[in-house]
Amino acid sequence: MKDFSELEDQLRKLRPAEPSADLMNRVERSLAEQSSTSTAGMLPRQRRFHFNWLSLGLGLAGAAALLMFAFIRLQQPAKKTSTVASRSPVPAVSPNSNQLVPAGLTQVVYHTRDEGLRFPANSQQPMRRVRSHTRETLQWLNPKTGASLRISYPREEVSLTPISGQ
Amino acid sequence: MENVATDENWKTCFSQLAPGLVLFARQWTRSLADAEDVVQEAFVKFWRRNHNIANRGLLYATVRSIALDFLRRDRRRARRESTAMSDVDQAVEPAFHVEDDSQRALVAAIDLLPAEQREVLTLKIWNELTFAEIASALGISQNTAASRYRYALVALKKNLPNT
Repeated sequence: MKDFSELEDQLRKLRPAEPSADLMNRVERSLAEQSSTSTAGMLPRQRRFHFNWLSLGLGLAGAAALLMFAFIRLQQPAKKTSTVASRSPVPAVSPNSNQLVPAGLTQVVYHTRDEGLRFPANSQQPMRRVRSHTRETLQWLNPKTGASLRISYPREEVSLTPISGQ
Repeated sequence: MENVATDENWKTCFSQLAPGLVLFARQWTRSLADAEDVVQEAFVKFWRRNHNIANRGLLYATVRSIALDFLRRDRRRARRESTAMSDVDQAVEPAFHVEDDSQRALVAAIDLLPAEQREVLTLKIWNELTFAEIASALGISQNTAASRYRYALVALKKNLPNT
C-alpha cells in the first residue's frame, strides 16, 4: 500500500460528522434502563466461570466427611451375618474335553437361627442348636461346546454344639 | 477482574466509536437521523447480549445487520407511500466535515465507489479496523477485505484529479 499512503493520509484527514448530542443521551438512557432490569452488559462472559468458593468448600467438607465415615466402617470388625456365600474353586480341565465337567459349587447360607440350649435324650450335657438354611448350586460345563448345566437346591442344616458348663 | 466492563466503560467506548459507527450506518440509510437510530439499536443490542467490548468485528456486524433490516423496512415504507424519493443507494453519502475543494472532490469520489468497496474503506480508514475485524464484520475473507480496500484506493486515485 506504499503507493497509496498519500491518498490514505488525505482520507484520514476527512473527519466524519459528529453524531448529535441526542444520540449519546438516548444510548445512555437505554443502557440505564437495561441496567435497572438486568445485569447484562455489566458483567462479561468470563464472570460466569468464576468459582463459587462457598459451594467448593461445602463440597470438599462433604467429601471429607464421606471419607471419614468410610474409614470408620473399614476399621470395624466384620459382623457375623446370616448370609454367607462360598464358592469352590473351578477344577482345571482340558479345553478339548467333550463332556460335562464340574465347574463349581456355590453355597449360600441365607438364614441362620440360634434355637437355644437343648438337652438331647442320650446326653447329660446341654447343647446349642443352630439351624441354617443354605442354597447350594452345582455347575457343570462342557469346555468344548460351552454348554453348561446348573442344579440348585435348598438345604437345611441343624448343628448341635456342646456347651461346657464350667 | 480487568475484563469487567462497567456501564461507564460502555459509555466511553460508545462516545469514541459513535462517529465511525454512524458513518458506517449511513451507507444504508437516507439520513443522519436514521443512521443514528440504527447505531443506537445496534449498540444497545450488542451491550444487552453481553458481548465482549473488544469484539469490534461483531459490533460492526450488528450495526450492518440492523442497518440492512432498516433498509428493507425503509424501502417497503417508501413503496407504500409512493414517494418520489430517489433510490437509497444514490442518496448515500458519507457525512464528513468538508473543509476545502480537494476534500469535496474526495467525498465525491468516495460516493462513486461500489458499495462493497466503500464499506471496507469506511471500516478501515475511519473506524480503524484490521482486515481480520473487517472480514469478521462483513462475513468475508481477509483477502477479500484487503482486495476490496485496494480496489477502492485504485478507484479513488483514478477519479481524483491531483493524485
